[in-house]
Amino acid sequence: MGAPELLQFALAGLKNGSIYALVALGFTIVYASTGVINFAQGEFVMLGGMLSVWAHSTLGLPLPLAALIGILGTAVIGVVFELLAIRPRKDGDPLALIIITVGGSLLLSNLARHVFGPSERSLPAFTAGPSLRFLGATLERQSLWIFGLTALAVVVLTVFYSRTRLGRAMRACSINRTAARLVGVDPKRLVTISFALAAALGGLAGVVTTPLTQTAFNVGSSFGIKGFAAAILGGLGNPIAAVIGGLVLGLLESMSIAFLSSTYKDAISLVVLLLVLFIRPQGLLGRGGREKV
Amino acid sequence: MIVNTRKVLILFLAALLLAVPLVGCSSDGGKDTSEKPAEVKDPYRIGAVLSETGTYAGLGAPERNTLEMEVAKINDAGGVNGHPIEIVFEDDATDPDTAVAATTRLIDKEGVMAIIGATGTGATMAMRQEIDRAGIPQLSPAGGTAVTASFDPLVFQTPWSNSLVVPFELAYIKKQGITKIGLIADSGGFGKDGAGVVKEKVAGAGITIVAEEAFNAGDTDMSAQLTKIKAAGAEAVLMVTAGKEAATVAKNMMDLGMTVPLFGTHGNARTEFIEGAGAGAEGFRFAAGKILLPESYDSGSESYKVATEFIDEYSAQFDKAPDTFAGHAYDALHIIINAMMTLDEGFTPAELRDAIEATDGFVGIGGVFTYSATDHNGMTEDDLVMYQVTDGKWVLAK
Amino acid sequence: MSLLREHWRKLALLIVGAGVAVVPLFVTGTDARYVLKVLSFVGINALIVLGLALLFGYAGQVSMGHAAFFGLGAYASAWVTKSLGLPWLVGLAAAVLLTAAAGILLALPSLRLKGHYLAMATLAFGEIMRIAFVEAKGVTGGPDGLSGIPYASIGPLSFDTPQMNYWLVWGVLVLAIWLAANIVNGRPGRSMRALHGSELGTMASGINITGIKVRVFTLSAVFAGVAGALYASVVGFVSPSTFSLHLSVILVAMAVLGGTRSLAGPLLAAVVLTLIPYADAILPGLSREVMTVIQEWEADVYGLVIIIVILFMPGGIAGALRGVFVRGGEAK
Repeated sequence: MGAPELLQFALAGLKNGSIYALVALGFTIVYASTGVINFAQGEFVMLGGMLSVWAHSTLGLPLPLAALIGILGTAVIGVVFELLAIRPRKDGDPLALIIITVGGSLLLSNLARHVFGPSERSLPAFTAGPSLRFLGATLERQSLWIFGLTALAVVVLTVFYSRTRLGRAMRACSINRTAARLVGVDPKRLVTISFALAAALGGLAGVVTTPLTQTAFNVGSSFGIKGFAAAILGGLGNPIAAVIGGLVLGLLESMSIAFLSSTYKDAISLVVLLLVLFIRPQGLLGRGGREKV
Repeated sequence: MIVNTRKVLILFLAALLLAVPLVGCSSDGGKDTSEKPAEVKDPYRIGAVLSETGTYAGLGAPERNTLEMEVAKINDAGGVNGHPIEIVFEDDATDPDTAVAATTRLIDKEGVMAIIGATGTGATMAMRQEIDRAGIPQLSPAGGTAVTASFDPLVFQTPWSNSLVVPFELAYIKKQGITKIGLIADSGGFGKDGAGVVKEKVAGAGITIVAEEAFNAGDTDMSAQLTKIKAAGAEAVLMVTAGKEAATVAKNMMDLGMTVPLFGTHGNARTEFIEGAGAGAEGFRFAAGKILLPESYDSGSESYKVATEFIDEYSAQFDKAPDTFAGHAYDALHIIINAMMTLDEGFTPAELRDAIEATDGFVGIGGVFTYSATDHNGMTEDDLVMYQVTDGKWVLAK
Repeated sequence: MSLLREHWRKLALLIVGAGVAVVPLFVTGTDARYVLKVLSFVGINALIVLGLALLFGYAGQVSMGHAAFFGLGAYASAWVTKSLGLPWLVGLAAAVLLTAAAGILLALPSLRLKGHYLAMATLAFGEIMRIAFVEAKGVTGGPDGLSGIPYASIGPLSFDTPQMNYWLVWGVLVLAIWLAANIVNGRPGRSMRALHGSELGTMASGINITGIKVRVFTLSAVFAGVAGALYASVVGFVSPSTFSLHLSVILVAMAVLGGTRSLAGPLLAAVVLTLIPYADAILPGLSREVMTVIQEWEADVYGLVIIIVILFMPGGIAGALRGVFVRGGEAK
């Protein structure tokens, strides 16, 4: 196997990894504010894709506008979900909330089937044209969008968490709810904002991947599993950890295909994930003692 | 905490006391005793176990549409010897257990005399125990080889199975002067089944597999697998999957700059594939029945008439051309109806089964069916044709 | 006092046993097979949820991989009885041993993990096993599954009718409830409750946390394995698509909906949620049209029910019941 092939495997891994990272970012944001793994995160990815397809094909809107509708529409659904299904549970018991998100996941994917139908739908690539070639490997233009938007999301989130008052309050809230109140921010509002952000990111992931993979009412769970695995592998701490987790998972899969077997790629990456957890129970970059459940 | 145990027991007792009378009542429920006008004979009831929800919802929907449309037509034309046909639909949610319970329900509660279903191979196989117990015929629109390869006298199949399509397609590939192929298949039932048949038949066709790769439903990128196939020096890629990932494979090949041809199977005969793969679908070739292009029949033939009529009616009613799954459901229903037509009043399920097995030369959508005591798939390679995607449309491949 | 309660318990158990036992005698209509089959599915799910209730409600642990233990039990017994042609009890024993071994193997290294990390580890285990079920074609039949699995039989007694299957499933379930109730009320149960409260405190009082966690996890795995063995012989067909992450998650949802520190709550949740798609099995008056609508919207309703129960019954079904009982007790 020559260098061009190796590069190609790495690119494939990074491409999948960026998608996982985008989904994992959504998990991280909700986890930071509530201590909850949001099982509906994958459905946000599905909704982002479905809404933008609907806006583009059914309403006939131009692609950039349709993409925006996909992202914002999903954010609105995320907020509504939080207000109706998460906030009323006053004690914030994480396990109860997790099961609520499981219910939400079932509800959202099946409502999507009723609204958009059971067939898969597609979206054109953001930038048309042949894929780029370098060093004997190729990269399609849509992947550049995925890389770029994932990087942008990380930068924006990092700045948001470290530079803005709201972001700092959200971090404070994840450590201690009273601390957040001391800074003068209502923790309940922070949870709503975190759902809006997570849903928007999920929607973004759906919008950028649909041109590559199409979308359907039932794609949410596989995105959810991969994103959850990436978030845990990185360590449920900060945006950087989620991205590293996603990229590592993507590379693990493509290297399994390259050197071992494509049949067992998921099994291999899950075994590695288990080994990492057994050696470092808090994930690659996670810090101990932050566990909430 | 003994109290707790007591609570457990009390509650269970309460639940049971509630449940028993309810369950007891059900013994006189279920039977529809509403009076009917004297001239209308009792309906013949056929059960349909389809995946209207769950993973295969996209396949179950056209199947249900077809059955509803065709039954309305049959009943308008006077039914079967004066008996209207009634289809009792059950949704198996793409889940084998639900399919089993649905089958039991159809047999015992609805008293159906035949069952169409299930959409998926797994659910079709799961229903077998109940079918065997009741001794009623089952017509499955599921394409898995196992449905008829693991033979059951009561179970018939309407789609072309992989064991029919694969040798036909391999022969075509060989004719193009290709001897080394890369195989890529999904890890689900359809892909595994097809890949197994391919591996079994390549040697006989004079072809070797230089790379064998798999992907899972929900995977977002197959360029790593395709890079391996490319590096192995494959002269063509043969893909076996019925999932939406087919479009991703086609697109990835184009993006990788792979110029070798891509072949698919009847699992890809859906317009969603062309929409999804876009330019990547150009030149894609696959084997399927002739329903996609009725022109492939002689325009004067019976097959041509049946196919165009069905396509026109379905398109008019549902605003969308029927796919192959709609065709499989059409064939299943009409094979049962035709068998019923040959029987006298008051026939038994066993007689119905025998009549279905005697189906000889039935012109359906999937092809011309001739069942026998050893062949419950009923079609031959004559019913298949190679298609090619050109300018976003199916045309006959040369 | 406690002697009285002991008697009470035995009497109640007897009545429940008798109640469960006579159900098939009342179900005699045309749809008896259907109703009994559905009730057998209910019993099988209840058995898995019982194990999860011990694990979650008393030991505070969550498993997102119990569908894998269910599958392991089903394949083990199916393979032993069908492919090897051995008696059903041997198949059951194989299911118990295999799931116990897998439970211990997974529990030992997973012990250091907490909360979401444990959930991920069990989820990964479940997915790995699902891939194994698909790939180990020689034993599992691959994606096509194993069909023609014989009915359960013990010596000359064959469970080859829906009535017999019902008795088998519910007989095992009642035994398992009795076993679980004894564990919960005995010394292990007290340690488990302490574990749920505070690990540090439990450790300080000299209780072996590791041992308890491993044992509870293994026991819940074995319950799922036994349920699998029952499933294989009741349905006669096993395929990998049954043992999905979706099932694991739904089972956990049933246990959580039921409420903590309770067996009755989770059992009721399992019964009710399993019955939603089969509503006409216990409500015979439902028309075809209503059933069609229910089936079409079943998954949506399922999601909605989960959300609503957790929002409006903070303590789960058990909490709501406890409220009723405590109020009743105070009134005396």
